[in-house]
Amino acid sequence: MRKAIALTVVLLGSTALLSGCDKVKQVVTGKTEIANTAYPEKVYWGDTHLHTSNSPDAFGFGTRLDPVQALRFARGEEVTSSTGQKAKLARPLDFLVISDHSDGFATIKDLYEAPRAMITEPMLLRWYDMLHEGPEGSMRATAELIDAKANNRLPAAITNPAGAEQRLRNNWLAHIAAVEDYNEPGKFTAFIGFEYTLMDEGRNLHRNVIFRDSGNRAATVLPLASFGTTVPDGLWDYMDSYQAKTGGKVLAIPHNSNMSNGRMFMMTDPSGGPMSAEYARRRAAHEPIVEITQIKGDSEAHPFMSPNDEFAGYGTAGWEIGDLMMVEKTTPEMQPGSYVREALKRGLLIEQRTGANPYQFGVIGSTDSHTSLATADEDNYFGKHSGVEPNPKRATEAQNLGTREGRFGWNYLASGYAGVWATSNSREALFDAMMRKEVFGTTGPRMTLRVFGGWDFKAEDMKGDWVKAGYARGVPMGGTLKSGKGMPSFIISALKDPIGANLDRVQVVKGWVDKNGQAQEKVFDVVWSDMDGKRKLAGGKVPSVGDTVDLAKPSYQNSIGAPDLATVWSDPEFDPSVRAFYYIRVLEIPTPSWVAFDAVRYKLTLDPKIPLKQQERGYTSAIWYNPAG
Amino acid sequence: MDYKATARRLLKEPLVHFLIAGAMVFWLLSGRAPDLGERRIVVNEAVAGALAQRFYDSFRRMPSQDELDGLIRDYVTDQVYYREALRLGLDQDDEVVVRRMRRKMESLAVADAEAATPGDGELQAMIDKDPARYAEDPHTSFDQVYLGADTPENRIQADAKLALLRAGKPASGVPAPLPGQLTKASANDISGMFGDEFTLALRRLQPGQWQGPIASGLGLHLVRITAREASAKPSLATVRQRVENDWRAAAVAKAQSESYARILKGYDVAIELTK
Repeated sequence: MRKAIALTVVLLGSTALLSGCDKVKQVVTGKTEIANTAYPEKVYWGDTHLHTSNSPDAFGFGTRLDPVQALRFARGEEVTSSTGQKAKLARPLDFLVISDHSDGFATIKDLYEAPRAMITEPMLLRWYDMLHEGPEGSMRATAELIDAKANNRLPAAITNPAGAEQRLRNNWLAHIAAVEDYNEPGKFTAFIGFEYTLMDEGRNLHRNVIFRDSGNRAATVLPLASFGTTVPDGLWDYMDSYQAKTGGKVLAIPHNSNMSNGRMFMMTDPSGGPMSAEYARRRAAHEPIVEITQIKGDSEAHPFMSPNDEFAGYGTAGWEIGDLMMVEKTTPEMQPGSYVREALKRGLLIEQRTGANPYQFGVIGSTDSHTSLATADEDNYFGKHSGVEPNPKRATEAQNLGTREGRFGWNYLASGYAGVWATSNSREALFDAMMRKEVFGTTGPRMTLRVFGGWDFKAEDMKGDWVKAGYARGVPMGGTLKSGKGMPSFIISALKDPIGANLDRVQVVKGWVDKNGQAQEKVFDVVWSDMDGKRKLAGGKVPSVGDTVDLAKPSYQNSIGAPDLATVWSDPEFDPSVRAFYYIRVLEIPTPSWVAFDAVRYKLTLDPKIPLKQQERGYTSAIWYNPAG
Repeated sequence: MDYKATARRLLKEPLVHFLIAGAMVFWLLSGRAPDLGERRIVVNEAVAGALAQRFYDSFRRMPSQDELDGLIRDYVTDQVYYREALRLGLDQDDEVVVRRMRRKMESLAVADAEAATPGDGELQAMIDKDPARYAEDPHTSFDQVYLGADTPENRIQADAKLALLRAGKPASGVPAPLPGQLTKASANDISGMFGDEFTLALRRLQPGQWQGPIASGLGLHLVRITAREASAKPSLATVRQRVENDWRAAAVAKAQSESYARILKGYDVAIELTK
């Protein structure tokens, strides 16, 4: 028995050692010289939104893979998932942002590892015991934790930064050290970042925060917690202070506006008063891009606001019914503040009134995976968290976040990734591309989208070096048209994912403010497959591309659609006196969803109302037109 | 038979000492053997110091006298219950205890590997074992003209365009967001843009002349390789971080599986299931 006690002491000693900061190494600043191209020639693919075992909810849901394993996986290595399954990406990513929640950063992991005798807070003790009960208890503890966070009922031991500062610092430095180890300019970029999990009751106002800099700068701050605040101003103060103190740079990416119940993109400032130009400028400066699509649904557009857009409403089912926590059901008047297209329109309205546009942002897709595995391919989908890694029940079984009210496993999307037009694969070049919004988002496929806006682009331009011409005589995605005469024209080019599905069509989504001060939108089909053949316009409408999906395998054939679609398009309805934006949406031909792959793999019989096919898509950042020039 | 005498004699035998010691170890490890020490709970300076330190680690201040008294009371209560529970065998078949102990054993097994720093020799050996993994990818520079989908019509077009290019005349492809000229592209870059099939096809081409059509995941291309650089031998200085990352990941995995294998050897696992 003495031996048993002695062993316990040894074990406790070494646990303390493990959680200490002995792993933090001297941060090495980039010695490698990376050549930047004159202008962006290549898309770099990545995920700006991934959680590891350092995120309290991810850990509670069973994720045991740490940042190192997340980084190895993103670089293309095979890892063993938290549920013991072999996992590997079909293709490596070019960059990764690990964005673990700053609120309770690594807390649940530490709680789990702590000696029980040291836990005095009853709620923590309750969660501690539930976490150790096994997977089911762990799930319940995590659901309670997320709920407590949403309702500001977290124990002070988690929210009190003073008490927990040393522990937080150790965890943050260990995290930075892992990211630094895997950042290899020219080959793979690992960004330092975190998620600022801002909520207003159950309304999702989350932001991901990305540092441009290396660890020696990021280590001078701690990830900012969002406890006790419901507005983003505190985050922007933090960002300003970091930049002033270190000379570094940092940006924030809002996400899941679809569950903000109208709070993400408000017409007013957060207090309900009219938004000032200063406030609008401040927001735009800190939040240059928005995550338009991810596992918890797609936030591009909703049929409620876009009844004439037959492709609006991708990935809105289940998410549209309430806020993140289902504290408050969504009512129709809340919808406009929750979707990206509406935000772009609202931005024009606010700019018209104040002279500043708070929502002149670019768009990216990312996963928000809580498994340490950045998967967005339908045939290799590892789920929202480790409790729903591949298993026969995950498409239909109860999940957290409001299943009782109508959110099911199949509502989750195997989405998405960020495409970045940068001059090299480095923190600096990728970050700068995000700042200038030369980025686009897809629901997973790595399709290449390029657009330039100008005043004199002609079809002949596409025969020559149109990229060079695009930069010389126009602006790329994310830019604002310089003043010019006539009609704006756009060089638009889209290419399928080299190992993915063909493209159905390319659309231009235009938004503007009309003479009566009302925001309007219109979707133009500008180029589609077989447009001079079988798919000639019929009654002003593009005929459907068809469907080659075989659900029995499941698979699809590229016998329909086109690998490449390109055009030069001028706006036939252009009015030089009104402000407008234009962005590109590209649709793939129908393909099977991850649920269809699960149905075959696990021989499931599913309710026929569960969709098994989809048209995956890509969205570019917009190009803006301002009559003032 | 004087069994007492025999016992006395036996007790002088080293082999018997060994057997008795072994039996006692077995008895102790079985977790159910009460001895006198187990019934004695001592709170000395070392114990109180450790309690205070843990308090400090959580709250960043030393406990007050009252708090320390509370910690000691808790410690004693813990020990009383803990030892009594062990004595009653309550740790047996308790999933929480089992999982917790396993987690601790696993943490212990990898602690050294996580903290260790490999020597240059070890890292160099890893590079030598798999130089291709660490070598700079072979670089290919090439020009390409994209002709669109792989259709019979486009294949015919390809022949005509190939003839033009070979005659030194310009031939344009279909517009696509693909570079016409790639400089020092790695296999990874090429696969990312065109798919693996195309990367493999490029390897078989001789430099200098326009060739094609070559199929990719995107359709058809005419290609002219302009330069090819074999992969340079990787030097430890340039790839150290990557090798060290691999070394650490492998060391942790190895420590875990070796430690398990070592412990497993001491057990006899019998799966008594009828199929």
